[in-house]
Amino acid sequence: MTKVSTQVEFYQGAKGPLCRIIRTPEQILAQLLFIPPLFEQANQTRHHTTRSAINAYHQGIKTIVFDHYGTGDSAGELIDANLALWQQDILQQLTDIKASSTLGIYLSLPLSAVLLLSDEILKQVDGVMLLQPDFNGKRFVLQFKRLALAAQLTKNNKVQNDQSIHSQANQQKIIEIAGYQMHADLLEEIVGQSLSKLADFNGCCYWFEWQAASEELSPGRVKQQQALTKKNSGLSIKKVDDGKFWQASELQIADSYLRQEQVIFSQIVFSPVHSSKSEIS
Amino acid sequence: MTSAHTTEQISETTTEQLIKLLVAIMPNYDDTFWNADTELFGAIAEFDSMALVTLIGEIEEHFDIALDDDDISAENFASVSSLTELVLERS
Repeated sequence: MTKVSTQVEFYQGAKGPLCRIIRTPEQILAQLLFIPPLFEQANQTRHHTTRSAINAYHQGIKTIVFDHYGTGDSAGELIDANLALWQQDILQQLTDIKASSTLGIYLSLPLSAVLLLSDEILKQVDGVMLLQPDFNGKRFVLQFKRLALAAQLTKNNKVQNDQSIHSQANQQKIIEIAGYQMHADLLEEIVGQSLSKLADFNGCCYWFEWQAASEELSPGRVKQQQALTKKNSGLSIKKVDDGKFWQASELQIADSYLRQEQVIFSQIVFSPVHSSKSEIS
Repeated sequence: MTSAHTTEQISETTTEQLIKLLVAIMPNYDDTFWNADTELFGAIAEFDSMALVTLIGEIEEHFDIALDDDDISAENFASVSSLTELVLERS
């Protein structure tokens, strides 16, 4: 295995320095920015993100993996973060990438990362790779708030009866769920995000959907896929017959997903957007 | 076929489907570990708050049902069979 040229740096985000890991191949054919999903999902997907970034590097794709402000190794506290700030940081990175290179730019969006998309962000990229996307911000937040209920259940053997945690979360400005302390507005902003952000996107859109060969897709997922298929002619849905590694209580490797993703990487570097272009690092 | 027989079949199928979801979340327990009587809440170390919420999400998606906050109780998540009852009630 050849050595991977890796650079770890802090760059100035809108509110403070953000940590990012850049892997730059000798001959760059495309660029891929990994958007971390929200809260615990960032930890649950980190291992696969690293694997994907290394696989992309070996195919000539420059990759950038970073942490949002107030998360991971980046500066700041989650309590000072908001959706607009995170989107601004993503946009700034994309603008910087675009200013220094004419090569195609792609986003990797695992799970809830898709909730960070904005029209401005999508205007800057040639394609997106969605990994079991959580398009429904309302449902994502509902599940996140349930963590507090479940934690209380595992602690006290019963849930709080006098006042629901959902209403507390709505009333208090600062809330803490599963060890994450944040402004209640952040969750409200996430609730407002939905599938519609991808409606007018004309670039390549690869959707990795976890579905066992013997199982039918749930009605909710079918509906989401149909909705996006109608709106985006460049959509390509890939079925992944692996365990949902982000849900497992122990490390699982999604081999089928990683293999299929490598095929996409090879398509990206030979796509008409930049088939005749390459840059030397 | 009697209606009681059909109800039993539905219950068995639901249990099987729930076990599939549980195996995906806690893969370190093999298929022989799981059956209708397998205890969950308080009996399996890996069945923590994160696993519980993940399971709720998977149940809602797989069975196309909605669970309430009140459904998140030690009784409902005590075992695979109590969970089966909950899913059948909400279906």
